[in-house]
Amino acid sequence: MSTPVSLADRTETYRIGSGRVLLTPTPVEHIVSWKLSFRTLPAFAEGEELVQELVVHLLDKGTRKRDRFAVAEVLENRGARLDFSNDGLHVRVTGRALRDDVPDVLAMLAEQLREPLFDAQEFDKARAQLAARFHRSMDSTSSQAASALSQRLYQPAHPNFTPSPAEHLAQLQTITLEQVQAYHAAHFGGADLLVAAVGDADASAFVGALERSLGDWPAGSTQGPFETQGAPQAPARVAVPMPDKTNLDVRLGQALRVRRQDEDYLPLFLANYILGGNFSARLMAIIRDEMGLTYGIRSSLNGITTDHEGDWRVSVTLSQDNLERGIEATQAEVRRFITEGATADELDDKKTTALGSFTVGMATTRGLAAMLLRNAERGFEVSYLDAYPDLIEGVTLDQLNEAVQRHADPDTFHLTLAGQLPTPTPAEAQP
Amino acid sequence: MSLPSTRTVPDGVDFVEVSGGIEAYRLTSNQLQVLLLEQSAVPVATLMVTYRVGSRNESVGLTGATHFLEHLMFKGTARYNKEDGTSIFNALQRVGAQVNATTWLDRTNYYEMLPKEHLPLAVEIEADRMRGARLAVHDLESERTVILNEFDRGANEPTRNLYHAVWSAAFVAHPYHHPTIGWRCDIEDATAEGLRHFYDTYYWPNNATVSVIGDIDREAVLQLIVERFGAIPPSPHPIPEMRTREPDQRGERRVTVRQAGQLGSVMVAYKSPVAADPDTDALDVLATLLTTGKGSRFFRRLTDQGLTTGSFSGVSRLRDPGLFYLFGMLAPERTHEEVEAAMLDELHRIQEEGVTEAEVARAQKLLAAEEAFGRDGPYAVASQLNEAIAAGDWTLYTTFLERIDRVTAADVQRVAQAYLIEDRRTVGWYVPS
Repeated sequence: MSTPVSLADRTETYRIGSGRVLLTPTPVEHIVSWKLSFRTLPAFAEGEELVQELVVHLLDKGTRKRDRFAVAEVLENRGARLDFSNDGLHVRVTGRALRDDVPDVLAMLAEQLREPLFDAQEFDKARAQLAARFHRSMDSTSSQAASALSQRLYQPAHPNFTPSPAEHLAQLQTITLEQVQAYHAAHFGGADLLVAAVGDADASAFVGALERSLGDWPAGSTQGPFETQGAPQAPARVAVPMPDKTNLDVRLGQALRVRRQDEDYLPLFLANYILGGNFSARLMAIIRDEMGLTYGIRSSLNGITTDHEGDWRVSVTLSQDNLERGIEATQAEVRRFITEGATADELDDKKTTALGSFTVGMATTRGLAAMLLRNAERGFEVSYLDAYPDLIEGVTLDQLNEAVQRHADPDTFHLTLAGQLPTPTPAEAQP
Repeated sequence: MSLPSTRTVPDGVDFVEVSGGIEAYRLTSNQLQVLLLEQSAVPVATLMVTYRVGSRNESVGLTGATHFLEHLMFKGTARYNKEDGTSIFNALQRVGAQVNATTWLDRTNYYEMLPKEHLPLAVEIEADRMRGARLAVHDLESERTVILNEFDRGANEPTRNLYHAVWSAAFVAHPYHHPTIGWRCDIEDATAEGLRHFYDTYYWPNNATVSVIGDIDREAVLQLIVERFGAIPPSPHPIPEMRTREPDQRGERRVTVRQAGQLGSVMVAYKSPVAADPDTDALDVLATLLTTGKGSRFFRRLTDQGLTTGSFSGVSRLRDPGLFYLFGMLAPERTHEEVEAAMLDELHRIQEEGVTEAEVARAQKLLAAEEAFGRDGPYAVASQLNEAIAAGDWTLYTTFLERIDRVTAADVQRVAQAYLIEDRRTVGWYVPS
């Protein structure tokens, strides 16, 4: 295994206001990538995440100093990009620019974050755009199955709960521009502001530009409450019938009582790799390779953070002809894994896989910036990334199998599916 | 440009040229092309083998063969196989490799991105399966249902169905007519003999390019490639040429896709020249200024005005003439007629009035930034290089920016007038039912 030079040694940390900037120069020419985030803490049960989504949608629709086209001109004439996204507890920005343009682009970013225009016409357009997105997600078997699973596993106050597209549409119509402005005023600010930058960056230019534009950004004052655990519902099978969709998306999942900082997390992370983490994992090897039942099957630990718990889920796509056979075979493999556990050879294999993937994940400036930001959001020092290979190597087979036994139960997996059902099944619940 | 005098080339390798930092070589024993680019930012390397065979090389009744074969190539060889616990995925993923393959109109590519010390394993496996694939009957049967599920997944997507419907209407003779995954009945009927014949026809070193990008020692990598690939003989027959040319289109074609769904879309496409034609560069600039970013013409005219929720466009850079295409995704309560009319009107304005130098400069800057970020990491480079190899000239990748920089506003207006005309046009509507 290659051991890159310590990230902690290569990464400088700077303070701007109450936020932190992590800057890692790499030997690429001309380009700088960065990820920025700050905590917003919407009240999920009250639908504030959708309000936050609208705020994010309006960030590139003009500022108090320039309209949406002037904003676009600043960025596009430099070939730069700023992508704003809503990720529940955080708002994130993915940015990139050529080295010499970085100060101008960061100044533009700060202006967009701090002084959005919130024009009434643009608000109406943003609402229409979001409505269209929800309409389109009604056509997606993947979105529908995932949304249905989230509603089995979580209560509306949990950050991982996803309302159905129809519920989102109804809620969207009730949101006003005044709510959006008030949410921005209360929740957007420099609280826990984090920036990770990687590439051909001039440290003084990068940090100086951020200090000038965001150094005095006051913290948002309002924090919404949120659930940290999954909902204790009895397992169920939920179908979302969708005409003209002969491929069905199926999800099996159960909530896990684990957070990212817990001792059981890394053993479960490796257990997931063995069950369905990649092409050579059990689910692909058996359900796809041996049985030929699916093009795509994988398992994942989903939505687990240092703030809240998440779930373990299997995602599989099945053609109508193979639906029940595919579900039964998948359930059998999940049951076998949980009851019989993994083998020492499997653990050794997946440790190497996980560490190789970790190295490969740092191969781009964007990938490394994302890794640094995610690590910092968890409250971990950069040195955690340097220690990560040893932490993975240190997981024993007993730890892994005991963690699986402690947290997973094959009898409590929920099952959701979306698509054109082979035959009417009136007994199945409609979400 | 020649190789630096300090560099030595192993026996069995001929240096050919260098462009944009990428060095090109050929193995003397079998004419395998080798491309090397050193990037030492992280201790990672990408190996990619590009075969110059795609769905363009398939005939009626055998559509989808290239893609089917790509799947079977992972079923292994005598040395690497599941029965012995050495499946290709297992062998590579256990060392942390990202492994996959893709098939497209003009090419098939296999790649591994992995920690650099494991590069020899990837080279060994790719060399082994170039001529040693098992292609067993039982593997074909289990993989057939996998591919049929992949087909069904794609068929769920109306926009994808619209894209294929437009290409099928635009091309009546040329194999770009059929989708790369093939027609469903051909997937159902594919035989081991047919796929074996396809493999024996096209999978040879003289029809392939090996690219290695990343934190590499170039001389050591060349030596490794000679050792692993050098003993494979060249094809015992010439690689067959695909000679079908699409007849001139003599009028607009229209196609409608009806499928359950919520919001419709419009695709407008025009016949466009081959990848290497300078007019394709001008069409690339045109596509960029039409739909990239909020300063683009279609954003201002369509999305900002509430006609669409988004638009995108592109010019296919292929070995044979392809399509310049534009997509408009309808906003709720908007009609196909008004979106299509607005799209065509904007194109008409460009034909009549041209574009500004500022628009061209903006498009060039956006493309330059894309190119710079397209060199961010070895896989990003490999994936772009792959398309240039497929189009017939890998230096199309390294010379891209200088060609784009030569495009003028007059060029953009000229190609709009020459190519975006009714007789070359195919229009498709996705109509939710």
